[in-house]
Amino acid sequence: MTRGHRLVAALATLAVAFVAGCGGASGGGGGGAGTPGAPGAAPGFDGSTIKLGVVSALSGPVAVIGKEITAGNKVWFDHLNAQGGVAGRYRVELVQEDHQYKTDLAVQRYNKIKGDVLAFTQLLGTPNTLAVLPLLKADGMVAAPASYDAFWVREPNLLPIGAPYQVQAINALDYYLTEDGGSPGSVVCSMIQDDVYGEAGQAGLDFAAQRRGVRIANTQRFKVNTTDYTGQIQALTRAGCEMVFLVAAPSDAGRIWGAAAQTQFPGRWIGQSPTWIDEFANSPLTPYLRDRVLIVGEGTEWGDTGVPGMRDMLERIQRYAPQHQPDYFFTAGYNQGRVMTALLEKAVERGDLSRAGVLAASRELGTVSFDGLSGDYRYGPAETREPPRTSTIFSVDPSKPFGLATRKYNFSSPDAQAYVFQKANL
Amino acid sequence: MTALLQNVFAGLALGATYALVALGFVIIYKATGVLNFAQGGLLALGSYLGYTFTNSLAVAFGIAIVLACASAALVGAAFQRVVLTRMVGQPVFAVVMITIGLLFVLDPLVTAIWGFDNLQLANPWNIQRVVAGELVLGVRDLWSIGLTATVVAAFFVFFRYSRLGVAMRATAFDPEAALAQGISARRVFAVSWAISSALAALAGITLAAGPGGLSPAIGLIALTAFPAMILGGLDSPAGAVLGGLIVGLAEALTRGYQDQLFSWAGENVSVIVPYVIMVLILLVRPYGLLGTAEVRRI
Repeated sequence: MTRGHRLVAALATLAVAFVAGCGGASGGGGGGAGTPGAPGAAPGFDGSTIKLGVVSALSGPVAVIGKEITAGNKVWFDHLNAQGGVAGRYRVELVQEDHQYKTDLAVQRYNKIKGDVLAFTQLLGTPNTLAVLPLLKADGMVAAPASYDAFWVREPNLLPIGAPYQVQAINALDYYLTEDGGSPGSVVCSMIQDDVYGEAGQAGLDFAAQRRGVRIANTQRFKVNTTDYTGQIQALTRAGCEMVFLVAAPSDAGRIWGAAAQTQFPGRWIGQSPTWIDEFANSPLTPYLRDRVLIVGEGTEWGDTGVPGMRDMLERIQRYAPQHQPDYFFTAGYNQGRVMTALLEKAVERGDLSRAGVLAASRELGTVSFDGLSGDYRYGPAETREPPRTSTIFSVDPSKPFGLATRKYNFSSPDAQAYVFQKANL
Repeated sequence: MTALLQNVFAGLALGATYALVALGFVIIYKATGVLNFAQGGLLALGSYLGYTFTNSLAVAFGIAIVLACASAALVGAAFQRVVLTRMVGQPVFAVVMITIGLLFVLDPLVTAIWGFDNLQLANPWNIQRVVAGELVLGVRDLWSIGLTATVVAAFFVFFRYSRLGVAMRATAFDPEAALAQGISARRVFAVSWAISSALAALAGITLAAGPGGLSPAIGLIALTAFPAMILGGLDSPAGAVLGGLIVGLAEALTRGYQDQLFSWAGENVSVIVPYVIMVLILLVRPYGLLGTAEVRRI
């Protein structure tokens, strides 16, 4: 946790303490304890409709991600409502707020709607989740972070999905060493965004490298929105890097690969899932990317109806958002909706649709399947949760709807199995 | 040696872009005494206009650049005539705040029209390259350097020999004396905004023509051009160009060798280099390298 995050978290906690001291806190429980099968009304649940919060980047530079994840949330809940809602009885309404990917706004927006919603089905971004987490704890609220950091696995108030970034990096290195021509003697490097997102990937890479006896020869850290990457590519070339693991946002990834393509950097690139956008598949970069770039992510390629989860999702997109274009982040939002639904159904089963009821239900939630869109996640008490440890390797293929073709589907390396998720001091 | 030259070339190309943005800052400051904080927003607007001309209207790239610069110039001049004209004689601080307001208006305006997606500007440069021995020169970078050099030369001629250029210099030097000579300050102000906006558009398009494409964050480059302008001298067009090149070179060279030479300063030190240089130069020359020292009677 950086000093900035600590400061935000501390200020947020102080603010909560102050409000609580004034008797203004909306508290955690509500009056929702009811009998099984007939949950009573509570904040965010009026007896027939459940309101869920979405605090995302709906404007600003990260809106390209936030809007997609929110679209995924929406399609899932449109589908669910058409089936009658949670447990076939309770319709879901989304309350959206825009934090512009700014931590101060994330805290503000959370506070603005927390009294109106039962839980948050999306809270976008690692720094924003870190900022809001103390409030979630104070309010007894559950939120699904749109972020794949390993921190979240052991946090009771968070409901993460998917294999954390660390797992992606571990499986990526395994694939390179076992099936892509690499060896323990290969010169492996990394290029990472200079923030917690970048560090998550680096942590996984370091873990796997140590276990496999590989030395990370060079790591280039960069600031988001750097204009020119020639210097870093020169440094990677000088270090003789044969494989570079890349953790970046798409706009930076484009400039990085552009600089690499110009100098014909000869190494292999494996990019963490958020590096990719489909525009790359039909750009001047495409020939270079097709030769040099692999993407590590989850699930299957877009349009692969052989995977039940993808088939169902495509049908629902056709019905509820027919104009939608293929996008990896959409799937994340859709899966968030799925897991939130599973949690709410557990709460209904327990007869308590209050915040406390939802939080208690999260401890009893078992394995949630995503039908191949992502690895199955074993929930339950935070200390024993087991996230998926599977990844998929994609190659660049402009003929595919999202520009990516599955190269190796849904595998888990021994190193990924050995990775221990520890509770962070957040 | 090749690596060094490669980094120097990257620095010059980057510096050329900074120089264009910094030049835009300086021209408005020199003519009106106002620091235009909306320069980044105008840059984004200009580059998105370029996208519309090339990708949506299928205009040839070269013509699209001209059209985008002309459109941005119109927007800049219109803003000056409609809004800032009413602020003549008002405190500079109030005008500066209005430019900040313009920045906050342009940002959502751009995303409302073009959305948040990363867009690929259709252009012949992108990752095309020229190989000279072991040196790889990006075509986009060569154009950035060439365009900046041309613009700087054109400005030199414009300010020195054209009536309007002389009028702008006269207004910048002594607005009241210029007015007494029949020079229209309003016209000069509008032209300076038009030129500055066109420069921002040109910088934006050269940036967006690269492989990173176009995103709403493109205007953030103005933040890095800011120290370039300050260290060159707020009122010196030549200083803006010099400052841009110094910052670009320093950034590129630090980036290329930070793991070898600057690891003691922490990782990613290239990010702070422009600001460190700015502070150091200001300590020695408070008005920048080529800025005019202000003389005040106390």
